Amino acid sequence: MVLDIDEDNLKQGVLGLVIALLEVIRDVLRLQALKRMESGVLSEEEIERLGKALMDLDVVIDEIKEEQGITETVKSVRDGLDDLVDDVIDKIVNPSQLLEET
Amino acid sequence: MKREEAPKEAVASAATSSKDDPTLTTDAGSDQGLGLYLYGIADADVKTELGRIGIEENAVYTIPYSGLSAIVHDSPLEPYKSDDEEVVKGWVTTHQHVLDIAEEKFGTVIPFGFDRIIKPEGEVPARDVLNKWMAEEFDSLKDKIERIRGKKEYGVQIFFIPSVMSEKIVAESEEIRKIKEEMDSKSPGTAYLYKQKLEIAIKKEMESRMVSHFKDFYERIRKHVEEIKVEKTKRTDEKDKQMIMNLSCLVAEDKYKELGGELEKIDNEKGFSVRFTGPWPVYSFV
Repeated sequence: MVLDIDEDNLKQGVLGLVIALLEVIRDVLRLQALKRMESGVLSEEEIERLGKALMDLDVVIDEIKEEQGITETVKSVRDGLDDLVDDVIDKIVNPSQLLEET
Repeated sequence: MKREEAPKEAVASAATSSKDDPTLTTDAGSDQGLGLYLYGIADADVKTELGRIGIEENAVYTIPYSGLSAIVHDSPLEPYKSDDEEVVKGWVTTHQHVLDIAEEKFGTVIPFGFDRIIKPEGEVPARDVLNKWMAEEFDSLKDKIERIRGKKEYGVQIFFIPSVMSEKIVAESEEIRKIKEEMDSKSPGTAYLYKQKLEIAIKKEMESRMVSHFKDFYERIRKHVEEIKVEKTKRTDEKDKQMIMNLSCLVAEDKYKELGGELEKIDNEKGFSVRFTGPWPVYSFV
């Protein structure tokens, strides 16, 4: 996959990539936090702390994106990753199966 | 729009690939230096000139072969190639235009893609190579003509608006409304996690609804068309708009209005919109 990174602005590109990956990790953390919450092993206070921490992470990520003007770069990296995954899934799951059922 | 994308693909291929069909190899040393740029095959037995309407103002004419006619111009052996996208777009538009005119004049035409050039083979001039190919493919060409006679290709793209859909889901689903109520009663950190939970639940519900909408729309559209090809959905530029289906439809001329009516109904459904484009040459079905 070719990432669309502006050569004149390598720093932004790299930062965009880093933040995009951070976002992906954040998404995984969120899911894990949810699972913990629903499993009932956490106290209410722990749940609140966990949620707060993730909230703060969101704020920080948004601030960095805003300050560095990399919102678009991050989006294009994530879209690129999405496309990559889409292609793979598309090859595994043939969409015509959906039609054969109709 | 579907066909707005098609030229773009053609642009890309013209800009990068120069390899043509390996069976149509060239021999630059032959006396017959020219190739034939092929626009399409018409269901007509005519030998005629269409004027200088071709790519780079080449004279377009027809070469008949037992009831079919190839629409061509004399071209250099090298495919049309340029790094300037505008130039290539112009060529592709001209290609399209020639096909439109040919259809007007001869009725059914099998469209060929941009940059299809028949080359001479050794001593055999391109015209004979073309005739030989038409002879070999005669049955298949005839079949294709029959398949597309009196039909046109249309692009149908259906979109949904996620924000409208999720509002609808929150209003309709008991389970999801409950999560939302719980969320509203929690302190910020916990509410944040509930919000994630809510979003995941909505997304799941939305996906399952989209699967049934897809089937429903597909069935409804299928009634009015001869053939459907399901194309890959594409990402839209608008944030709150997602493509749920992307179809190429082969439509009989007298069914066009029915299809349009059905699509209008879908377009009027809350949270959905339809883009209906065409008629196009039947690229997707030949």
